[in-house]
Amino acid sequence: MTTAQFLQNLLNGISIGSVYAIFALGYTLVFSILGIINFAHGAVFTLGAYLTYAMAVGQFGINGLLSGLSIPVQLPFPVALLLGCILSGLVSVLIERLAFRPLRNRGGDALLALVSSLGVALVTVNAIQYFVGSEIYSFPPEIYGDIKPAITFSIGESVVVIRTVQVIIFGVCMAVLVSLGFLIARTRFGKALRAVAENPATASLLGISVNRFILYTFFLSGFLGGLAGSLVGTSFGVAGPYFGVTYGLQGIAVIVLGGLGSIPGSVLGGIIIGLIEAFVPPDYSAYKEAVSFALLFLILMVRPQGLLGQSQIQKV
Amino acid sequence: MTGLLDVKGVSRCFGGLKAVNDVSFRVEKGEIFGLIGPNGAGKTTLFNLISGLTPVSGGILSYDGVPLNSLPPHKVARLGIGRTFQNIRLFKGLSALENVKIARHSRTRAGLWGSVFGFPASHREEQEVKQRAGEILALVGLDNRADELASSFSYGDQRRLEIARALALEPRLLLLDEPAAGMNSAEKHGLTQFIREIRDRFNLTILLIEHHVPLVMGLCDRIAVLNFGELIALGPPAEVQKDPSVIEAYLGGD
Repeated sequence: MTTAQFLQNLLNGISIGSVYAIFALGYTLVFSILGIINFAHGAVFTLGAYLTYAMAVGQFGINGLLSGLSIPVQLPFPVALLLGCILSGLVSVLIERLAFRPLRNRGGDALLALVSSLGVALVTVNAIQYFVGSEIYSFPPEIYGDIKPAITFSIGESVVVIRTVQVIIFGVCMAVLVSLGFLIARTRFGKALRAVAENPATASLLGISVNRFILYTFFLSGFLGGLAGSLVGTSFGVAGPYFGVTYGLQGIAVIVLGGLGSIPGSVLGGIIIGLIEAFVPPDYSAYKEAVSFALLFLILMVRPQGLLGQSQIQKV
Repeated sequence: MTGLLDVKGVSRCFGGLKAVNDVSFRVEKGEIFGLIGPNGAGKTTLFNLISGLTPVSGGILSYDGVPLNSLPPHKVARLGIGRTFQNIRLFKGLSALENVKIARHSRTRAGLWGSVFGFPASHREEQEVKQRAGEILALVGLDNRADELASSFSYGDQRRLEIARALALEPRLLLLDEPAAGMNSAEKHGLTQFIREIRDRFNLTILLIEHHVPLVMGLCDRIAVLNFGELIALGPPAEVQKDPSVIEAYLGGD
Protein backbone atom coordinates (compact mmCIF):
# COMPACT_ATOMS: atom_id res chain seq x y z
CA MET A 1 0.00 0.00 0.00
CA THR A 2 1.42 3.36 -0.98
CA THR A 3 1.36 6.36 1.33
CA ALA A 4 -1.29 7.95 -0.86
CA GLN A 5 -3.52 4.86 -0.69
CA PHE A 6 -3.01 4.67 3.04
CA LEU A 7 -4.00 8.29 3.48
CA GLN A 8 -7.00 7.85 1.23
CA ASN A 9 -8.23 4.84 3.20
CA LEU A 10 -7.60 6.68 6.43
CA LEU A 11 -9.70 9.68 5.41
CA ASN A 12 -12.50 7.51 4.02
CA GLY A 13 -12.46 5.42 7.16
CA ILE A 14 -12.73 8.43 9.44
CA SER A 15 -15.56 9.84 7.37
CA ILE A 16 -17.70 6.69 7.39
CA GLY A 17 -16.59 6.09 10.98
CA SER A 18 -18.01 9.45 12.02
CA VAL A 19 -21.39 8.42 10.56
CA TYR A 20 -21.18 5.12 12.47
CA ALA A 21 -20.44 7.15 15.58
CA ILE A 22 -23.56 9.33 15.39
CA PHE A 23 -25.67 6.32 14.41
CA ALA A 24 -24.30 4.25 17.30
CA LEU A 25 -24.91 7.12 19.73
CA GLY A 26 -28.62 6.63 19.04
CA TYR A 27 -28.32 3.09 20.41
CA THR A 28 -26.16 4.26 23.29
CA LEU A 29 -28.54 6.97 24.50
CA VAL A 30 -31.44 4.53 24.69
CA PHE A 31 -29.25 1.82 26.19
CA SER A 32 -27.90 4.09 28.90
CA ILE A 33 -31.37 5.10 30.01
CA LEU A 34 -33.35 1.86 29.55
CA GLY A 35 -30.64 -0.81 29.49
CA ILE A 36 -31.93 -2.27 26.23
CA ILE A 37 -30.77 -2.32 22.62
CA ASN A 38 -33.42 -0.77 20.42
CA PHE A 39 -33.43 -2.96 17.32
CA ALA A 40 -35.79 -0.56 15.58
CA HIS A 41 -32.94 1.95 15.34
CA GLY A 42 -31.74 0.50 12.01
CA ALA A 43 -35.25 0.90 10.60
CA VAL A 44 -35.33 4.55 11.71
CA PHE A 45 -31.99 4.99 9.91
CA THR A 46 -33.63 3.71 6.70
CA LEU A 47 -36.80 5.71 7.20
CA GLY A 48 -34.77 8.89 7.79
CA ALA A 49 -33.00 8.43 4.48
CA TYR A 50 -36.31 8.00 2.63
CA LEU A 51 -37.90 10.99 4.38
CA THR A 52 -35.00 13.26 3.51
CA TYR A 53 -35.04 11.91 -0.05
CA ALA A 54 -38.77 12.57 -0.35
CA MET A 55 -38.44 16.17 0.75
CA ALA A 56 -35.27 16.95 -1.21
CA VAL A 57 -36.10 15.14 -4.45
CA GLY A 58 -39.85 14.83 -4.20
CA GLN A 59 -40.64 11.71 -6.21
CA PHE A 60 -40.53 7.95 -5.94
CA GLY A 61 -39.94 5.43 -8.76
CA ILE A 62 -42.26 2.84 -10.21
CA ASN A 63 -42.85 0.08 -7.69
CA GLY A 64 -44.63 1.18 -4.56
CA LEU A 65 -47.95 2.68 -3.65
CA LEU A 66 -46.47 6.18 -3.84
CA SER A 67 -44.90 5.69 -7.29
CA GLY A 68 -45.66 8.49 -9.67
CA LEU A 69 -46.53 10.79 -6.80
CA SER A 70 -44.42 13.89 -6.83
CA ILE A 71 -44.24 16.45 -4.10
CA PRO A 72 -44.64 19.96 -5.61
CA VAL A 73 -42.04 21.60 -3.40
CA GLN A 74 -38.48 20.34 -3.41
CA LEU A 75 -36.82 21.70 -0.32
CA PRO A 76 -33.18 22.78 -0.27
CA PHE A 77 -31.13 19.84 0.97
CA PRO A 78 -30.15 21.24 4.43
CA VAL A 79 -33.81 22.00 5.20
CA ALA A 80 -34.94 18.59 3.94
CA LEU A 81 -32.21 16.95 6.03
CA LEU A 82 -33.21 18.81 9.19
CA LEU A 83 -36.90 17.99 8.68
CA GLY A 84 -36.03 14.37 7.90
CA CYS A 85 -34.10 14.13 11.16
CA ILE A 86 -36.87 15.76 13.20
CA LEU A 87 -39.47 13.42 11.68
CA SER A 88 -37.20 10.44 12.41
CA GLY A 89 -36.96 11.65 16.00
CA LEU A 90 -40.75 11.82 16.23
CA VAL A 91 -41.10 8.33 14.75
CA SER A 92 -38.66 7.13 17.40
CA VAL A 93 -40.80 8.79 20.09
CA LEU A 94 -43.81 6.96 18.66
CA ILE A 95 -41.89 3.68 18.84
CA GLU A 96 -41.17 4.31 22.52
CA ARG A 97 -44.84 5.02 23.21
CA LEU A 98 -46.13 2.01 21.26
CA ALA A 99 -43.47 -0.65 21.68
CA PHE A 100 -41.55 0.11 24.86
CA ARG A 101 -43.59 2.05 27.40
CA PRO A 102 -46.61 -0.30 27.55
CA LEU A 103 -44.30 -3.24 28.30
CA ARG A 104 -42.32 -1.22 30.85
CA ASN A 105 -45.48 -0.11 32.63
CA ARG A 106 -46.56 -3.73 32.96
CA GLY A 107 -43.20 -4.69 34.37
CA GLY A 108 -42.22 -6.71 31.30
CA ASP A 109 -38.81 -8.33 31.04
CA ALA A 110 -36.12 -6.43 29.12
CA LEU A 111 -36.03 -9.30 26.63
CA LEU A 112 -39.64 -8.53 25.65
CA ALA A 113 -38.65 -4.98 24.69
CA LEU A 114 -35.96 -6.46 22.47
CA VAL A 115 -38.49 -8.64 20.67
CA SER A 116 -41.02 -5.83 20.29
CA SER A 117 -38.33 -3.53 18.87
CA LEU A 118 -37.42 -6.22 16.35
CA GLY A 119 -41.11 -6.37 15.44
CA VAL A 120 -41.23 -2.60 14.94
CA ALA A 121 -38.14 -2.84 12.73
CA LEU A 122 -39.75 -5.44 10.48
CA VAL A 123 -43.04 -3.58 10.22
CA THR A 124 -41.25 -0.33 9.35
CA VAL A 125 -39.10 -1.96 6.70
CA ASN A 126 -42.13 -3.69 5.15
CA ALA A 127 -44.12 -0.46 5.23
CA ILE A 128 -41.33 1.31 3.36
CA GLN A 129 -41.32 -1.45 0.77
CA TYR A 130 -45.10 -1.21 0.44
CA PHE A 131 -45.07 2.54 -0.09
CA VAL A 132 -41.99 3.17 -2.19
CA GLY A 133 -40.93 -0.22 -3.48
CA SER A 134 -37.54 -1.82 -3.24
CA GLU A 135 -35.66 0.24 -5.77
CA ILE A 136 -32.35 1.90 -5.06
CA TYR A 137 -32.68 5.65 -4.83
CA SER A 138 -29.72 7.92 -5.46
CA PHE A 139 -29.64 11.50 -4.30
CA PRO A 140 -28.75 13.70 -7.28
CA PRO A 141 -25.19 15.03 -6.89
CA GLU A 142 -26.31 18.67 -7.01
CA ILE A 143 -28.02 18.51 -3.59
CA TYR A 144 -24.81 19.69 -1.98
CA GLY A 145 -24.71 22.66 -4.36
CA ASP A 146 -22.14 23.36 -6.98
CA ILE A 147 -19.17 21.42 -5.65
CA LYS A 148 -16.36 19.48 -7.24
CA PRO A 149 -17.04 15.74 -6.97
CA ALA A 150 -13.60 15.10 -5.52
CA ILE A 151 -10.77 16.84 -3.77
CA THR A 152 -7.31 15.87 -4.89
CA PHE A 153 -3.95 16.66 -3.45
CA SER A 154 -0.57 15.12 -3.98
CA ILE A 155 1.82 13.50 -1.57
CA GLY A 156 5.23 13.35 -3.17
CA GLU A 157 4.60 11.80 -6.55
CA SER A 158 1.27 10.11 -5.88
CA VAL A 159 -2.17 11.68 -5.76
CA VAL A 160 -4.77 11.33 -2.99
CA VAL A 161 -8.41 11.55 -4.11
CA ILE A 162 -11.19 12.14 -1.58
CA ARG A 163 -14.85 12.49 -2.53
CA THR A 164 -16.12 15.91 -1.46
CA VAL A 165 -19.28 14.29 -0.09
CA GLN A 166 -17.16 12.33 2.38
CA VAL A 167 -15.58 15.56 3.62
CA ILE A 168 -18.98 17.26 4.05
CA ILE A 169 -20.36 14.23 5.89
CA PHE A 170 -17.39 14.26 8.21
CA GLY A 171 -17.91 17.97 8.93
CA VAL A 172 -21.63 17.52 9.68
CA CYS A 173 -20.94 14.56 11.96
CA MET A 174 -18.25 16.42 13.88
CA ALA A 175 -20.56 19.42 14.40
CA VAL A 176 -23.31 17.11 15.68
CA LEU A 177 -20.92 15.21 17.97
CA VAL A 178 -19.60 18.43 19.52
CA SER A 179 -23.13 19.81 20.04
CA LEU A 180 -24.30 16.56 21.57
CA GLY A 181 -21.26 16.43 23.85
CA PHE A 182 -22.00 19.97 24.99
CA LEU A 183 -25.68 19.16 25.51
CA ILE A 184 -24.93 16.16 27.70
CA ALA A 185 -21.91 17.41 29.62
CA ARG A 186 -22.77 21.07 30.17
CA THR A 187 -26.47 21.82 30.14
CA ARG A 188 -28.94 21.31 32.94
CA PHE A 189 -30.91 19.12 30.56
CA GLY A 190 -27.86 16.89 30.07
CA LYS A 191 -27.24 16.61 33.79
CA ALA A 192 -30.81 15.63 34.47
CA LEU A 193 -30.55 13.10 31.64
CA ARG A 194 -27.43 11.59 33.22
CA ALA A 195 -29.19 11.45 36.58
CA VAL A 196 -32.11 9.57 35.01
CA ALA A 197 -29.68 7.21 33.28
CA GLU A 198 -27.81 6.50 36.50
CA ASN A 199 -30.84 5.91 38.67
CA PRO A 200 -34.36 6.51 37.33
CA ALA A 201 -36.10 5.84 40.65
CA THR A 202 -33.98 8.38 42.53
CA ALA A 203 -34.36 10.97 39.78
CA SER A 204 -38.14 10.58 39.91
CA LEU A 205 -38.08 11.12 43.69
CA LEU A 206 -36.38 14.45 43.02
CA GLY A 207 -39.29 15.57 40.87
CA ILE A 208 -37.92 14.58 37.46
CA SER A 209 -40.45 12.96 35.13
CA VAL A 210 -38.56 9.88 33.99
CA ASN A 211 -41.00 9.03 31.18
CA ARG A 212 -40.58 12.50 29.72
CA PHE A 213 -36.80 12.16 29.71
CA ILE A 214 -37.15 8.77 28.04
CA LEU A 215 -39.17 10.50 25.30
CA TYR A 216 -36.44 13.16 24.87
CA THR A 217 -33.88 10.37 24.65
CA PHE A 218 -35.81 8.55 21.95
CA PHE A 219 -36.20 11.79 20.03
CA LEU A 220 -32.45 12.41 20.11
CA SER A 221 -31.79 8.81 19.20
CA GLY A 222 -34.17 8.89 16.22
CA PHE A 223 -32.77 12.25 15.12
CA LEU A 224 -29.26 10.80 15.05
CA GLY A 225 -30.47 7.63 13.29
CA GLY A 226 -32.27 9.63 10.61
CA LEU A 227 -29.24 11.88 10.15
CA ALA A 228 -26.89 8.92 9.74
CA GLY A 229 -29.25 7.26 7.23
CA SER A 230 -29.64 10.44 5.18
CA LEU A 231 -25.90 11.10 5.08
CA VAL A 232 -25.05 7.55 4.05
CA GLY A 233 -27.85 7.84 1.47
CA THR A 234 -26.28 10.91 -0.10
CA SER A 235 -22.93 9.16 -0.30
CA PHE A 236 -23.82 5.65 -1.44
CA GLY A 237 -27.50 5.91 -2.38
CA VAL A 238 -30.51 4.59 -0.48
CA ALA A 239 -30.19 0.89 -1.15
CA GLY A 240 -33.78 -0.27 -0.68
CA PRO A 241 -35.90 -0.90 2.43
CA TYR A 242 -33.32 -3.27 3.91
CA PHE A 243 -30.68 -0.56 3.63
CA GLY A 244 -30.56 -0.13 7.42
CA VAL A 245 -30.21 -3.80 8.33
CA THR A 246 -26.45 -4.09 7.74
CA TYR A 247 -25.86 -0.68 9.27
CA GLY A 248 -27.99 -1.70 12.21
CA LEU A 249 -25.73 -4.68 12.85
CA GLN A 250 -22.59 -2.62 12.36
CA GLY A 251 -23.99 -0.09 14.81
CA ILE A 252 -24.42 -2.83 17.41
CA ALA A 253 -20.82 -3.91 16.76
CA VAL A 254 -19.78 -0.31 17.37
CA ILE A 255 -21.51 0.03 20.74
CA VAL A 256 -20.30 -3.35 21.95
CA LEU A 257 -16.76 -2.51 20.86
CA GLY A 258 -16.85 0.92 22.49
CA GLY A 259 -18.54 -0.32 25.67
CA LEU A 260 -22.32 -0.48 26.13
CA GLY A 261 -23.72 2.81 27.39
CA SER A 262 -20.48 4.73 26.92
CA ILE A 263 -20.81 7.88 24.81
CA PRO A 264 -17.07 8.36 24.13
CA GLY A 265 -16.94 4.59 23.54
CA SER A 266 -19.51 4.84 20.73
CA VAL A 267 -17.50 7.57 19.01
CA LEU A 268 -14.23 5.64 19.32
CA GLY A 269 -15.91 2.38 18.28
CA GLY A 270 -17.51 4.07 15.26
CA ILE A 271 -14.22 5.47 14.02
CA ILE A 272 -12.44 2.11 14.53
CA ILE A 273 -15.11 0.13 12.64
CA GLY A 274 -15.06 2.76 9.88
CA LEU A 275 -11.29 2.46 9.57
CA ILE A 276 -11.37 -1.34 9.54
CA GLU A 277 -13.88 -1.29 6.69
CA ALA A 278 -11.86 1.26 4.75
CA PHE A 279 -8.71 -0.85 5.03
CA VAL A 280 -10.31 -4.11 3.89
CA PRO A 281 -8.78 -4.59 0.41
CA PRO A 282 -11.22 -3.90 -2.47
CA ASP A 283 -11.17 -7.56 -3.58
CA TYR A 284 -12.57 -8.57 -0.20
CA SER A 285 -14.95 -5.67 0.35
CA ALA A 286 -17.95 -8.02 0.31
CA TYR A 287 -16.55 -9.50 3.51
CA LYS A 288 -15.94 -6.29 5.40
CA GLU A 289 -18.71 -6.93 7.94
CA ALA A 290 -17.23 -10.34 8.68
CA VAL A 291 -13.83 -8.75 9.18
CA SER A 292 -15.12 -6.15 11.60
CA PHE A 293 -17.16 -8.68 13.58
CA ALA A 294 -14.18 -11.06 13.78
CA LEU A 295 -12.07 -8.24 15.14
CA LEU A 296 -14.83 -7.30 17.55
CA PHE A 297 -14.86 -10.87 18.84
CA LEU A 298 -11.10 -10.83 19.40
CA ILE A 299 -11.26 -7.54 21.30
CA LEU A 300 -14.10 -8.82 23.49
CA MET A 301 -12.00 -11.86 24.43
CA VAL A 302 -9.54 -9.45 26.04
CA ARG A 303 -11.93 -6.73 27.18
CA PRO A 304 -15.45 -8.10 27.58
CA GLN A 305 -16.75 -4.72 28.74
CA GLY A 306 -15.64 -3.05 25.49
CA LEU A 307 -12.91 -0.46 25.00
CA LEU A 308 -14.30 2.31 27.22
CA GLY A 309 -17.03 0.42 29.04
CA GLN A 310 -17.00 -0.03 32.78
CA SER A 311 -16.99 -3.53 34.12
CA GLN A 312 -20.27 -4.35 35.79
CA ILE A 313 -20.18 -3.51 39.47
CA GLN A 314 -22.51 -5.54 41.63
CA LYS A 315 -25.28 -3.28 42.87
CA VAL A 316 -26.16 -3.45 46.55
CA MET B 1 -51.70 20.60 65.19
CA THR B 2 -53.21 19.29 61.98
CA GLY B 3 -52.47 16.16 59.99
CA LEU B 4 -50.04 16.34 57.08
CA LEU B 5 -49.75 12.71 56.10
CA ASP B 6 -52.71 10.42 56.50
CA VAL B 7 -52.19 6.67 56.20
CA LYS B 8 -55.55 4.88 56.22
CA GLY B 9 -55.75 1.10 56.14
CA VAL B 10 -52.83 0.89 53.73
CA SER B 11 -51.73 -2.54 52.48
CA ARG B 12 -49.20 -3.85 50.00
CA CYS B 13 -48.90 -7.48 48.94
CA PHE B 14 -46.00 -9.03 47.07
CA GLY B 15 -47.43 -12.28 45.77
CA GLY B 16 -48.85 -13.94 48.90
CA LEU B 17 -46.72 -11.88 51.27
CA LYS B 18 -48.40 -8.98 53.02
CA ALA B 19 -45.44 -6.61 53.38
CA VAL B 20 -47.68 -3.88 54.75
CA ASN B 21 -51.01 -4.96 56.19
CA ASP B 22 -53.83 -2.53 56.98
CA VAL B 23 -51.63 0.14 58.56
CA SER B 24 -53.18 3.41 59.76
CA PHE B 25 -51.60 6.44 61.38
CA ARG B 26 -51.46 10.17 60.95
CA VAL B 27 -48.37 12.35 60.98
CA GLU B 28 -49.07 15.84 62.34
CA LYS B 29 -47.53 19.02 60.94
CA GLY B 30 -44.16 19.83 62.49
CA GLU B 31 -43.83 16.45 64.12
CA ILE B 32 -40.78 14.17 64.13
CA PHE B 33 -42.38 10.78 63.71
CA GLY B 34 -40.39 7.57 64.09
CA LEU B 35 -41.10 4.32 62.30
CA ILE B 36 -39.41 1.34 63.93
CA GLY B 37 -39.60 -2.42 63.78
CA PRO B 38 -37.47 -5.50 63.21
CA ASN B 39 -35.89 -6.21 59.81
CA GLY B 40 -38.48 -7.06 57.20
CA ALA B 41 -41.28 -5.37 59.15
CA GLY B 42 -42.32 -3.33 56.08
CA LYS B 43 -40.86 0.06 57.01
CA THR B 44 -39.06 0.74 53.74
CA THR B 45 -42.00 -0.69 51.78
CA LEU B 46 -44.19 1.89 53.50
CA PHE B 47 -41.75 4.63 52.46
CA ASN B 48 -41.89 3.33 48.89
CA LEU B 49 -45.70 3.44 48.99
CA ILE B 50 -45.73 7.03 50.26
CA SER B 51 -43.20 8.22 47.69
CA GLY B 52 -45.00 6.52 44.82
CA LEU B 53 -42.28 4.02 43.88
CA THR B 54 -44.56 1.11 44.71
CA PRO B 55 -48.33 1.26 44.14
CA VAL B 56 -50.52 0.46 47.13
CA SER B 57 -52.65 -2.70 47.05
CA GLY B 58 -55.32 -1.21 49.29
CA GLY B 59 -56.17 1.71 51.55
CA ILE B 60 -55.73 5.43 51.16
CA LEU B 61 -52.64 7.61 51.42
CA SER B 62 -53.15 11.34 51.51
CA TYR B 63 -50.83 14.27 51.92
CA ASP B 64 -52.29 17.57 53.07
CA GLY B 65 -55.68 16.43 51.82
CA VAL B 66 -54.38 15.32 48.39
CA PRO B 67 -54.71 11.59 47.63
CA LEU B 68 -51.33 10.07 46.70
CA ASN B 69 -52.49 6.62 45.63
CA SER B 70 -52.25 6.99 41.87
CA LEU B 71 -49.50 9.61 41.63
CA PRO B 72 -46.15 8.78 39.99
CA PRO B 73 -43.03 9.48 42.11
CA HIS B 74 -42.09 12.75 40.38
CA LYS B 75 -45.51 14.22 41.13
CA VAL B 76 -45.34 13.11 44.76
CA ALA B 77 -41.93 14.80 44.96
CA ARG B 78 -43.33 17.99 43.45
CA LEU B 79 -46.09 18.05 46.07
CA GLY B 80 -43.33 18.47 48.64
CA ILE B 81 -42.32 15.01 49.84
CA GLY B 82 -38.56 14.46 49.86
CA ARG B 83 -36.70 11.34 50.91
CA THR B 84 -33.34 9.74 51.51
CA PHE B 85 -32.37 6.08 51.22
CA GLN B 86 -31.09 3.40 53.51
CA ASN B 87 -28.38 2.59 50.95
CA ILE B 88 -27.21 5.98 49.75
CA ARG B 89 -28.30 6.79 46.22
CA LEU B 90 -26.37 9.85 45.14
CA PHE B 91 -25.55 10.40 41.47
CA LYS B 92 -21.94 9.27 41.56
CA GLY B 93 -20.95 10.81 38.25
CA LEU B 94 -22.11 14.30 39.29
CA SER B 95 -20.52 16.77 41.70
CA ALA B 96 -22.01 17.57 45.11
CA LEU B 97 -23.39 20.84 43.78
CA GLU B 98 -24.87 19.17 40.69
CA ASN B 99 -26.53 16.54 42.86
CA VAL B 100 -28.28 19.29 44.79
CA LYS B 101 -29.12 21.28 41.65
CA ILE B 102 -30.85 18.29 40.06
CA ALA B 103 -33.45 18.44 42.82
CA ARG B 104 -34.19 22.06 41.89
CA HIS B 105 -35.01 21.06 38.32
CA SER B 106 -38.72 20.76 39.03
CA ARG B 107 -38.76 24.04 40.96
CA THR B 108 -37.67 26.16 38.01
CA ARG B 109 -39.68 27.54 35.13
CA ALA B 110 -37.30 28.05 32.20
CA GLY B 111 -37.84 24.46 31.11
CA LEU B 112 -36.11 22.28 28.60
CA TRP B 113 -35.48 24.68 25.75
CA GLY B 114 -34.27 27.41 28.05
CA SER B 115 -31.87 25.06 29.74
CA VAL B 116 -30.56 23.79 26.40
CA PHE B 117 -30.21 27.08 24.58
CA GLY B 118 -29.41 29.30 27.54
CA PHE B 119 -32.02 32.04 27.18
CA PRO B 120 -31.31 35.10 29.39
CA ALA B 121 -34.20 34.33 31.76
CA SER B 122 -32.89 30.81 32.03
CA HIS B 123 -29.41 32.11 32.75
CA ARG B 124 -30.70 34.27 35.60
CA GLU B 125 -32.62 31.33 36.97
CA GLU B 126 -29.53 29.15 36.69
CA GLN B 127 -27.67 31.65 38.88
CA GLU B 128 -30.45 31.53 41.46
CA VAL B 129 -30.50 27.75 41.42
CA LYS B 130 -26.74 27.68 41.90
CA GLN B 131 -26.87 30.13 44.77
CA ARG B 132 -29.70 28.32 46.52
CA ALA B 133 -27.95 24.96 46.08
CA GLY B 134 -24.77 26.52 47.53
CA GLU B 135 -26.70 27.74 50.58
CA ILE B 136 -28.14 24.31 51.21
CA LEU B 137 -24.68 22.74 50.89
CA ALA B 138 -23.37 25.30 53.39
CA LEU B 139 -26.09 24.26 55.80
CA VAL B 140 -24.80 20.69 55.87
CA GLY B 141 -21.21 21.96 55.95
CA LEU B 142 -20.22 20.76 52.48
CA ASP B 143 -20.04 24.08 50.63
CA ASN B 144 -16.25 24.01 50.45
CA ARG B 145 -16.40 20.72 48.53
CA ALA B 146 -19.22 21.67 46.13
CA ASP B 147 -17.34 20.77 42.96
CA GLU B 148 -16.02 17.40 44.09
CA LEU B 149 -17.63 14.23 42.79
CA ALA B 150 -20.22 12.80 45.16
CA SER B 151 -18.49 9.43 45.00
CA SER B 152 -15.33 10.87 46.58
CA PHE B 153 -17.15 11.75 49.83
CA SER B 154 -16.88 9.78 53.04
CA TYR B 155 -19.88 7.76 54.13
CA GLY B 156 -21.07 10.32 56.68
CA ASP B 157 -20.67 13.18 54.21
CA GLN B 158 -22.59 11.24 51.57
CA ARG B 159 -25.45 10.88 54.05
CA ARG B 160 -25.43 14.62 54.69
CA LEU B 161 -25.25 15.35 50.96
CA GLU B 162 -28.25 13.10 50.38
CA ILE B 163 -30.21 15.05 53.00
CA ALA B 164 -29.10 18.32 51.35
CA ARG B 165 -30.34 17.04 48.01
CA ALA B 166 -33.72 16.13 49.50
CA LEU B 167 -33.94 19.59 51.12
CA ALA B 168 -33.30 21.27 47.78
CA LEU B 169 -36.67 19.99 46.67
CA GLU B 170 -38.14 22.34 49.32
CA PRO B 171 -40.17 19.54 50.86
CA ARG B 172 -42.66 19.97 53.67
CA LEU B 173 -42.48 16.31 54.54
CA LEU B 174 -39.07 14.67 54.69
CA LEU B 175 -38.74 10.89 54.79
CA LEU B 176 -35.41 9.73 56.22
CA ASP B 177 -34.60 6.03 55.82
CA GLU B 178 -32.09 5.05 58.53
CA PRO B 179 -30.19 8.34 58.54
CA ALA B 180 -27.83 7.16 61.32
CA ALA B 181 -26.84 3.88 59.64
CA GLY B 182 -23.08 3.47 59.72
CA MET B 183 -22.45 6.54 61.89
CA ASN B 184 -20.38 6.51 65.09
CA SER B 185 -21.89 7.73 68.38
CA ALA B 186 -20.56 11.30 68.08
CA GLU B 187 -21.98 11.52 64.56
CA LYS B 188 -25.30 10.11 65.78
CA HIS B 189 -25.48 12.77 68.45
CA GLY B 190 -24.72 15.45 65.87
CA LEU B 191 -27.42 13.99 63.63
CA THR B 192 -30.09 14.41 66.33
CA GLN B 193 -29.20 18.08 66.59
CA PHE B 194 -29.10 18.43 62.83
CA ILE B 195 -32.53 16.88 62.25
CA ARG B 196 -34.10 19.21 64.84
CA GLU B 197 -32.32 22.16 63.26
CA ILE B 198 -33.57 21.51 59.74
CA ARG B 199 -37.07 20.80 61.05
CA ASP B 200 -37.20 24.25 62.65
CA ARG B 201 -35.46 26.08 59.87
CA PHE B 202 -37.54 24.70 56.98
CA ASN B 203 -40.79 24.12 58.90
CA LEU B 204 -40.50 20.45 58.12
CA THR B 205 -42.43 17.45 59.21
CA ILE B 206 -40.15 14.45 59.49
CA LEU B 207 -40.93 10.76 59.18
CA LEU B 208 -37.91 8.61 59.89
CA ILE B 209 -36.99 4.95 59.96
CA GLU B 210 -34.29 4.15 62.48
CA HIS B 211 -32.88 1.11 64.24
CA HIS B 212 -30.78 2.92 66.80
CA VAL B 213 -33.17 2.99 69.78
CA PRO B 214 -31.62 5.81 71.90
CA LEU B 215 -31.63 8.10 68.88
CA VAL B 216 -35.29 7.39 68.13
CA MET B 217 -36.30 7.78 71.78
CA GLY B 218 -34.46 11.08 72.16
CA LEU B 219 -35.57 12.58 68.88
CA CYS B 220 -39.10 11.53 68.02
CA ASP B 221 -42.32 13.06 69.26
CA ARG B 222 -44.22 9.88 68.43
CA ILE B 223 -43.34 6.41 67.26
CA ALA B 224 -45.14 3.76 65.24
CA VAL B 225 -43.95 0.16 65.55
CA LEU B 226 -44.36 -2.26 62.66
CA ASN B 227 -43.94 -6.01 62.87
CA PHE B 228 -44.58 -8.39 59.95
CA GLY B 229 -46.30 -5.57 58.11
CA GLU B 230 -48.72 -4.75 60.91
CA LEU B 231 -48.88 -1.75 63.18
CA ILE B 232 -48.45 -3.09 66.71
CA ALA B 233 -47.97 0.10 68.70
CA LEU B 234 -48.31 3.85 68.28
CA GLY B 235 -47.60 6.67 70.73
CA PRO B 236 -44.95 8.74 72.52
CA PRO B 237 -41.55 7.01 72.96
CA ALA B 238 -41.93 6.39 76.69
CA GLU B 239 -45.24 4.57 76.22
CA VAL B 240 -44.17 2.53 73.23
CA GLN B 241 -41.03 1.41 75.04
CA LYS B 242 -43.13 -0.21 77.75
CA ASP B 243 -45.64 -1.84 75.41
CA PRO B 244 -45.48 -5.63 75.90
CA SER B 245 -46.15 -6.40 72.22
CA VAL B 246 -43.19 -4.23 71.22
CA ILE B 247 -40.89 -5.94 73.69
CA GLU B 248 -42.05 -9.29 72.36
CA ALA B 249 -41.51 -8.25 68.72
CA TYR B 250 -37.95 -7.17 69.46
CA LEU B 251 -36.93 -9.93 71.85
CA GLY B 252 -38.94 -12.63 70.12
CA GLY B 253 -41.67 -14.76 71.68
CA ASP B 254 -43.42 -17.90 70.63
